[in-house]
Amino acid sequence: MATATYPPPPPYYRLYKDYLQNPKSAPEPPPPIEGTYVCFGGNYTTDDVLPSLEDQGVRQLYPNGPNIDFKKELRSLNRELQLHILELADVLVERPSQYARRVEEISLIFKNLHHLLNSLRPHQARATLIHILELQIQRRKEALEDIKRRREEAQRLLKESLATLDGQ
Amino acid sequence: MDIISQLQEQVNSIAALAFNTFGTLQRDAPPVRLSPSYPEPPPSTTEDPTNFAEQPKLMSAALVKAAKQFDALVAALPPSEGGEEAQLRRIAALQAENDAVGQELQKQLEAAEKELKQVQELFTQAADNCLNLKKPD
Repeated sequence: MATATYPPPPPYYRLYKDYLQNPKSAPEPPPPIEGTYVCFGGNYTTDDVLPSLEDQGVRQLYPNGPNIDFKKELRSLNRELQLHILELADVLVERPSQYARRVEEISLIFKNLHHLLNSLRPHQARATLIHILELQIQRRKEALEDIKRRREEAQRLLKESLATLDGQ
Repeated sequence: MDIISQLQEQVNSIAALAFNTFGTLQRDAPPVRLSPSYPEPPPSTTEDPTNFAEQPKLMSAALVKAAKQFDALVAALPPSEGGEEAQLRRIAALQAENDAVGQELQKQLEAAEKELKQVQELFTQAADNCLNLKKPD
């Protein structure tokens, strides 16, 4: 059985020979990549955004405006889904050869549902960030109060000890 | 698990229930007479009398229950106040407040450390004085 050795380290390690003595003599690390890049033959992008439904060739069933009422749309999609499942059951009883279109419509509804849920994620991320910031502000304020109290306590103790020493 | 992941799980389970329902019904349905010109199909054995009549009922009840649970989860979503810009504005305001409180905290911390050093200095002086005043016997 033929085995291959590990690949050798990249040859520019020699440039870092005097790094310990002079950190500036070696080249800087490469800057972060922006835009699209190729990795192992695949194209990737650094801009992580949810591709819209039209990009994937899927018809969008819910109205798209600036602010979508997620709860209402999710509920109406759920009702549509139930109706379509019932329709599929009816078609299977009466005209079994026409199942394909119904199945396609059901999968369309599922794709819309998942796309709606995925588009809630950025909102959730921002809400989490807001929550974390609020917690941090509260903790900092508590620490501030704590320090102030301890300082005043220390001042008071010093004054008392001074008074006792003077009274001695 | 957070609410959106629960919603996604619920959607997937509704899908699984739907195809299990149809698959089970198609697999286990007894043969039925299609037209008067064909002979009556042979009566099949095994499962028929016992629970074939209940299976559609049970499975459809499970499907409807899953759909109702999805609605309950949707109702449990937190209200989405404003939109993206409102959230970004709130984040900027919170960041500014965080910076201000952080500066104040830093100031208090430096003052407290200075006082600590002073007290420590005084303490070493007092201890030295004590040592110097005590005469060795």
